[in-house]
Amino acid sequence: MIEVKDLTKVFRKPIRGSGLSGMVKTLFSRKYEEVRAVDGISFTVPDGEIVGYIGPNGAGKSTTIKMMCGILTPTSGSILIDGTEPCRKRQQVAQHIGVVFGQKTQLWWDIPLIESFKVLKEIYQIPDADYRERMAFLGEVLDITRFLSQPVRTLSLGERMRADLAASMIHNPRILFLDEPTIGMDVLVKEKIRLAIHALNRTYGTTVVLTTHDMTDIEDLCSRIILLEKGKIIYDGPLTDLKKRFGNIKTLTLTVPAEVHAGTAPVLSPEVAVSEEDGRLVLRFDADRIPLEQVVQYAFRDLRAMDMKIAEISIGDVVKTILEQQEAEHAEKV
Amino acid sequence: MRYVHLYFTCIKRSMISRLEYKKDTIVALFSFFFSNLCSLAAIYFILQSIPALAGYSLAEVGFFYGFSMLPISLDHLFSDEFWLVAYRRVQNGDMDMHFLRPVPVMFQVFAETFQPEGFGEMILGVALIIVCASNLTVTVSFGSIAVLTVGAVFGAVIITSFKVALSALAFIFKRSGPLLQIIYNFSNYAKYPLAIYPAVIRMLLIFVLPFGLFISLPVDTLLHGTHDPWLLCLAIILCAAVFFALAVRIWTFCERRYESTGS
Amino acid sequence: MLKKYKPFLRAGAMDTMAYRFNILVWAVITVCQVACLVFLWLAVYRSSEGGIDAVIHGFTYREMISYVVLTTVFGFVTFNNDTLWNINTDIKKGTIGNYLIKPISYRGKFAATSLGSLLMMTLMFGVPLYTAALAVLGSLGFLPDLTFPAFFAHLALFLLSGLCASLLNDTIAYIFGVLCFYTSSGWGLNSLKETLVAFLSGTLLPLAFFPAGLREAVSIMPFAGMSQNPILILMMKYDLAESLRAVALTAAWIVALELFAKLLFSHAIRKVTVQGG
Repeated sequence: MIEVKDLTKVFRKPIRGSGLSGMVKTLFSRKYEEVRAVDGISFTVPDGEIVGYIGPNGAGKSTTIKMMCGILTPTSGSILIDGTEPCRKRQQVAQHIGVVFGQKTQLWWDIPLIESFKVLKEIYQIPDADYRERMAFLGEVLDITRFLSQPVRTLSLGERMRADLAASMIHNPRILFLDEPTIGMDVLVKEKIRLAIHALNRTYGTTVVLTTHDMTDIEDLCSRIILLEKGKIIYDGPLTDLKKRFGNIKTLTLTVPAEVHAGTAPVLSPEVAVSEEDGRLVLRFDADRIPLEQVVQYAFRDLRAMDMKIAEISIGDVVKTILEQQEAEHAEKV
Repeated sequence: MRYVHLYFTCIKRSMISRLEYKKDTIVALFSFFFSNLCSLAAIYFILQSIPALAGYSLAEVGFFYGFSMLPISLDHLFSDEFWLVAYRRVQNGDMDMHFLRPVPVMFQVFAETFQPEGFGEMILGVALIIVCASNLTVTVSFGSIAVLTVGAVFGAVIITSFKVALSALAFIFKRSGPLLQIIYNFSNYAKYPLAIYPAVIRMLLIFVLPFGLFISLPVDTLLHGTHDPWLLCLAIILCAAVFFALAVRIWTFCERRYESTGS
Repeated sequence: MLKKYKPFLRAGAMDTMAYRFNILVWAVITVCQVACLVFLWLAVYRSSEGGIDAVIHGFTYREMISYVVLTTVFGFVTFNNDTLWNINTDIKKGTIGNYLIKPISYRGKFAATSLGSLLMMTLMFGVPLYTAALAVLGSLGFLPDLTFPAFFAHLALFLLSGLCASLLNDTIAYIFGVLCFYTSSGWGLNSLKETLVAFLSGTLLPLAFFPAGLREAVSIMPFAGMSQNPILILMMKYDLAESLRAVALTAAWIVALELFAKLLFSHAIRKVTVQGG
């Protein structure tokens, strides 16, 4: 269980002058500007949930994760990991959490992978039987057995990430923090990683908090998402609700004769937005307000569609729309 | 007990890493002998042009040099990783890893590296001591053996304490390598008899950066019986205790203020 | 043409600025270190047969102290160089591949960074430190008269030889960095380089103290140009002809070693595939 309350992190960054003269000035006097990386956020993650922690770059995702791990101290507010404050009792919390920072490995670079696991076994005091069981489980779901005897520096990016994930799970943590675990991976590796996270969650009831820019990760894994922007939570809830907030939005992508264009095409109703993408027409509408059937008829009859694809709005579009709305609101305020 | 076991597991890991770089280890060993050869050559060249250095013969100056290698090599064996902490690990974010593990950070840093080069240094030091001593008339007593042993072992504790305390500053300032380097370099000055320095510097090397206390004074005691060996033993042990306690306090203080870099 | 290296030049200067705390501490404590060395030399001269005013291997104690002080300032300002470590890191982390595909030369990047660092160090620390050292040593009578037309020529040659020394240091660091391809790690190579340079450049001890045979051999090597020669030029121990010869020798060595570095790199780079990326 993770309880976060009114969490704020303010970084003091020295204001650097630009150019050489600015640098010389910095040498003698230094001014700081305050950056509120995380700004008064609160949420609770119950045991066994997989939460997607998403938002644009610089929204404060990694900062929050680092505070939850105890390697950054909150400016104000509190974090409790199973009732313990991570920055006060870091060592105690460390026993029960696993962390992967996608950009950095925690494995020893020069030695065969298996040796890293042997050291981790001692660090986390894993009993022999548990260790064997975990290695078997992780070997299977992450498919790492094949390269256990290779030094980490010889592994491919995908292999290394799987090895890193395994290393973060070896001590059966109750909570797993994954900061961009699929960054830079190919589709097959992503798939493998998602399956492994699912398997871990089902088998051991591990709580998972993950940040990602890949919306497929979110749709595959997360029952709940927390959407962060400029250090503030702008949405926290189930994925389905987020979609519903936008109504039952569907898109029809039509292949139409060359002379049919978005601007000149006959209009069915103001409910249906018509746009053109790559020579195809895209119709967007809320199926709760205007029946799908009617739109499909309109497409074939009035727009002379030759082919058609029906899709629900993707979570990526939803997030994009929310962030755009936020941006617009900010702009208005200013 | 758990930590003893864990230490050996980590050390084994460190040795496996070293074996991955056999060639580098050989180069390191070569450069280490070469470096000492250069320093000894410099001393030799200087002493060639004068009859004696402040009353100390070439063999005596060589003895100082050889003995200084013992505490330095002992420290070298166990605490080499602190250099990396001071110079780059905090700055490049590699330190986070240690803060995410359920083991004290200082222990992890000690357990990260074991430098077998230290043995080479120790052997060279002992060899130099033997060569120089055979050209000298020294009366070996129980007390002088004791003071040399205490000087070597507790001297190593004092050097390690400096490394712990100063590398901990990197937790706050991100990089403290140069500072550590300079303090550490003062050990070079204890390679010569204290007599060549004016009183202020002698005091500095005994009371502030006590390299002279555990290197020069024990050797002086052996060669010229300048001090009561048992009193000197006591002083060195007390000094080591104070420095180590202080180093641990500073480390704990700085560790609590550690913040991961970037966001 | 050189414009694309400007960011690295800037980065080198910026990095140097960023750690002003370390640099200031370094400077302060270096003074203590120099003091210790000065006392060592004073003891040496006092213990000599001719007493304190003896001339040992062409140096009076005043000149020797000036030499020690100026060598220290010189080393501090000139040898601020991370080239070897950066190459080592690039090799170990496999990031070297990223640079090989960029339209800049790997060598040029490091030269620009080091040059940026040198410029910043010279402006920030070199100017005040050299001025202070020359003023103090001059007023104590430790240096010959710094009368202007003559000294001006020496100063110009000193700056030129300092630039050469810094470039040569970077070249040597680069060569040792590239040798990391063969040893897979830079620890040993770094300490070998440091030792080699400290001993053979006269930083540890002026080369005049070396026995004749060794001295002859070292004087045609590149190392003296990295520390001893610039300092002796500044102290006017070299006349203009000797100074010019020393600078020319260093410059020739830079060219020769750069060529060697180029050959070495193209040989070493074939090992990248072995290391994996």
